[in-house]
Amino acid sequence: MEQNEKTALDEAIDRLWTQFLPQMRERVAILETAASGFAADKLSAADHVKANDAAHKLAGALGSFGLTRGTVLARELEIMYSRENGADPVTSARLGEIAAELRAMVENRK
Amino acid sequence: MAHRILIIDDEDDIREVAALSLESVAGWEVLTASSGAQGLARAVESQPDAILLDVMMPGMDGPATFRELRKNPATARIPVLLLTAKVQANDQRRFADLGVEAVLFKPFDPLTLSNQIAGVLGWN
Repeated sequence: MEQNEKTALDEAIDRLWTQFLPQMRERVAILETAASGFAADKLSAADHVKANDAAHKLAGALGSFGLTRGTVLARELEIMYSRENGADPVTSARLGEIAAELRAMVENRK
Repeated sequence: MAHRILIIDDEDDIREVAALSLESVAGWEVLTASSGAQGLARAVESQPDAILLDVMMPGMDGPATFRELRKNPATARIPVLLLTAKVQANDQRRFADLGVEAVLFKPFDPLTLSNQIAGVLGWN
């Protein structure tokens, strides 16, 4: 592929990112809410499933938009939300950290 | 001759990036469907050269869609590649055992997705 074709592809992917940014933000918001709910030991079963689903979708998508670390983090969340854990402080802190890092990544992708 | 490929995925971001990639990098004709049921109908009417099929979809999921494609004589011989974000080994084995041509993983690199597909299908 020629350099100008690669540039055109990158630009087209940037346009798709802009188009789907609201969807990415919504998925991250689900993870932020879930992290708060988990910390307060008030995460419902339905929200647990929603968080797992949001993490799964982010894991599958972010890397295709160049956010490889985002995929790694989202995958870690997907695994954590696939378990039936009580609200221990270590897990709780990690869920919050990852959600915050994903938020920063999604907001700052250039 | 440009190949014709059908992408079946309920996630519109993935569908759009994959379509962009296959059209602009490989120059293939791309058709899309956002559900298993829609994908089955499109496969019958458009007779694609291959199908890129998402695993996790609401309603009829990827494996169920694949089984329906195989049951129908009009689509039974179309090569199917599964696309999944599931990375656990037991999931991968389960998908491979279905009899699909290949299991590809999300996230994919838009620059190389068509090469992966072409390699599996001998289109190089």
